[in-house]
Amino acid sequence: MARTVPSRNALRPPRPGRRVAIGAAAVALLATAVLPVRGAVADDSKGGEKVLTVAVSQSVDSLSPFLAQRVISTSVHRLMYEYLTDYDAGDGHAVPGLATAWNTSPDKLTWTYTIRRDAKWSDGRQVTADDAAWTFNKTMTDKGAATANGSFVANFKKVTAPGPTTLVVELKRPQATMTALDVPIVPRHVWEKVGDFTRFNNDRRFPVVGDGPFVLTDYKVDQYIKLRPNKTFWRGAPQFDELVFKYYKDNDAAVAALRKGEVSFVSNLTPAQASSLKSASHIKVNDAPGRRFFALAANPGAQSKDGTRFGDGNPALLDPRVRRALFASVDRTMLVDKVFQGHAVEGEGYIPPRFADYFWKPAAEQRIAYDPVEAAALLDAAGYRTGADGRRTGKDGRPLGLRLLCHAIDPNDKAVSKYLQEWWAKLGIGLTVDCVDNVTDPWMSGEYDLALDGYSVSPDPDYVLSIHTCAARPATPRATGQTDDFVCDRPFDELYAKQLAEYDTAKRADLVKRMESRLYDTGYINVMAYPNAVEAYRTDQIESITTMPEAAGNIYGQDGYWSWWSAVPASGSAAKPGGGPSAGVVLGIVAGAIVLAGAASFVVLRRRVDADDRE
Amino acid sequence: MTTAAAPGNDGSGSLAWARRRDSLARFWRAYRTHRAGLYGLAGLAVIALIALTAPLTVGGNIQSVTSAPGSALESPSGQFPLGTDQFGRSLLGLLIWGARISLAVGLLAAALSVAIGTLVGILAGHYGGWLATALMRITDWFLVMPTLVLAIVLATVMSHSVWTVILAIGVTSWPTTARLVRAQTIAVESRPYIERARALGGGHRHIMSRHVLPNVMPLVLAQTTLGISNAILTEATLAFLGLGDPTVVSWGGMLQDAREAGAVSSGHWWYLAPPGIAIALVALSFTLCGRAVEAVLNPKLGVR
Repeated sequence: MARTVPSRNALRPPRPGRRVAIGAAAVALLATAVLPVRGAVADDSKGGEKVLTVAVSQSVDSLSPFLAQRVISTSVHRLMYEYLTDYDAGDGHAVPGLATAWNTSPDKLTWTYTIRRDAKWSDGRQVTADDAAWTFNKTMTDKGAATANGSFVANFKKVTAPGPTTLVVELKRPQATMTALDVPIVPRHVWEKVGDFTRFNNDRRFPVVGDGPFVLTDYKVDQYIKLRPNKTFWRGAPQFDELVFKYYKDNDAAVAALRKGEVSFVSNLTPAQASSLKSASHIKVNDAPGRRFFALAANPGAQSKDGTRFGDGNPALLDPRVRRALFASVDRTMLVDKVFQGHAVEGEGYIPPRFADYFWKPAAEQRIAYDPVEAAALLDAAGYRTGADGRRTGKDGRPLGLRLLCHAIDPNDKAVSKYLQEWWAKLGIGLTVDCVDNVTDPWMSGEYDLALDGYSVSPDPDYVLSIHTCAARPATPRATGQTDDFVCDRPFDELYAKQLAEYDTAKRADLVKRMESRLYDTGYINVMAYPNAVEAYRTDQIESITTMPEAAGNIYGQDGYWSWWSAVPASGSAAKPGGGPSAGVVLGIVAGAIVLAGAASFVVLRRRVDADDRE
Repeated sequence: MTTAAAPGNDGSGSLAWARRRDSLARFWRAYRTHRAGLYGLAGLAVIALIALTAPLTVGGNIQSVTSAPGSALESPSGQFPLGTDQFGRSLLGLLIWGARISLAVGLLAAALSVAIGTLVGILAGHYGGWLATALMRITDWFLVMPTLVLAIVLATVMSHSVWTVILAIGVTSWPTTARLVRAQTIAVESRPYIERARALGGGHRHIMSRHVLPNVMPLVLAQTTLGISNAILTEATLAFLGLGDPTVVSWGGMLQDAREAGAVSSGHWWYLAPPGIAIALVALSFTLCGRAVEAVLNPKLGVR
């Protein structure tokens, strides 16, 4: 997903405050497991209203489209504001959004969009080309407004609105992503009054004026985000009466709520949760190819654009043989089988196979296959020989030891690091696993050797490719850049510039594949797997819902509003979920009994001590 | 402890030993009368035996994920009496292996906490004055801070390792000991023989280490035994909250792994219950022992 910088935060949903919350959650879990839960399907409380409740855990960074970068916030913006173009739910090609048609001048530098006449802001005003022009101009001229979408307008020369239905964008250089501008268009008459864009979070006055399928009506930090359907939405109003994103900081609690019918949808399931939900009644598990890659990134010696080296990446990783040896000793099949338990596809090229146009996989001779013997030979050749203690030492006599940066809150990261530690120990390489809550700081300052990396990929691959160009590096060591792993490779950059200027889809796809091939050969980004999106929803509350891609795709975190906009309430959505006591209840009772027994024994002991006291 | 055991002074040396043996026997006789204490001691002996023999019974290879024998989250069977975890490792083996970390962390953290508490308590009780005021205000501050919150903060800002957890528990749970030891120190120092020692030229150091410390030791011992169960519980809590060392197996860590695997909502009770019960049993054993020791050693609780 394009606007997920820094994606290490965005894509492994961070759960700030989760640590403290877990204790409470654990207690609450016992409580919820034992106590009967009030039916949350709204029929009883709000006189027949159909409410779609989605369990989420990621905190909102900002509800201002100029600042929001996390998946949760950008997903809500998709619902609140219409974009110039949308991605088709079927195959991801650009389809009309606010713009009904677009064309480009022969010199490829001027784009003209026709803005639709039947779109209205939720306060009744007409949506015009002027709103779009103002949004782009604001992003271009105000540095504070460029935080989230600055990269889309960096190449814009001038944006004008000659008429209410005509938007003209003049470019400095040709740009192939002009039908994939993920920029929410905001109402000028509302946003003009905003003073400081870096501090305005759009979460004070409700309802928030928008033109998307839903209107934001309420928001409480880490509690809920509430939206009502926009009855005048040009594509047709959504069928549910309310959409609520409800916070569950503990995924197990969210699954328990799904079983009870308290929520309609849960994402990010573990394999165990998915398989137990499969046998639950009225629950459908959606296990679809994901849009993320899960990679092992090697620090190429962090450098800013001004040429200053910084960070403390291990110089051993600058040797391509070492990087190859490290990846050759990673058994990707085992990771898919054991860690993801089949809910993933083995990693090949940079872009997941779901995006068939851009998917590339290395040919047999180029592929770094799992081969620990070859890995050992490569390390020997690189001068790292095994010592008497079984550890490899370099020519300088220092043992080869690496650090791995991983997300403490991501179970998959921790699991994979255990495997890496053992595989590399067999090779004679020591691995220190640094699983931390805040990976952004050490990452941005280049203080890592290896890191577990992941990005969600949009239908248009421009963004995920741009983060490996030299230009994405920070200006100075202290500045923040868009870069993912400080990769700076001339051939890759040349191909990047070519694909951006290529308007022919087939030719562009070919260039993108060559870029993936080049990235694979550098060995800095080694894709281990493409994790699936594993989600579940209640069929007695949601009759049908559109996945993206339609054939086999995800529901949460789509590149569009298709899922929630298309969701059809089940006819009997008032139906109470039935079923006897779940395992959670049994567990709660057992735990309660143990606690009681413990308490009783302590009371008895206390009594005795008291008796002693009395003498 | 009498370094003055010069040659020819054998008689007094063996006398001291005899006296010590004698008091130990007396202690044991008194301890024996506490049935709960005996149960606790037996429990501890069994658990210590299991933990110490773990390298022989299950072996360190039990932690390996790459050579795990089973498949993910198997239910209990003949091969795996408690089932397997999400990596396919035997949960019984992990439970046995985890006892080592849980016990080691509990013991070390309690020792650290009691050491800090004793030092602060004796210093404050002995010197009094502004030093005592300062030390006791610090103690008060730590006393009113919720221990768990402070430990979480410490464990979060430092790197995730076993030593961090030990340190986090140790430096947050000492105030109670400090208060107790200070009170006992003041009581001991008001006795006439301290005055005698002072009159004979005993310095601060001599009085604190030779007279006060041995007299507060019983209290410290009881406090340590009780502190261990607290430390084990806190360790498990921290590990459960994901603040432990993810690369070592401990009981709290097993609970955290179970939660992350979604064992709670998918009903894999055999993953959750054993570590929880093990933690409860160990904590209970230490508490039972501690109470018994306290009852024997602390004259205020009376002799049964």
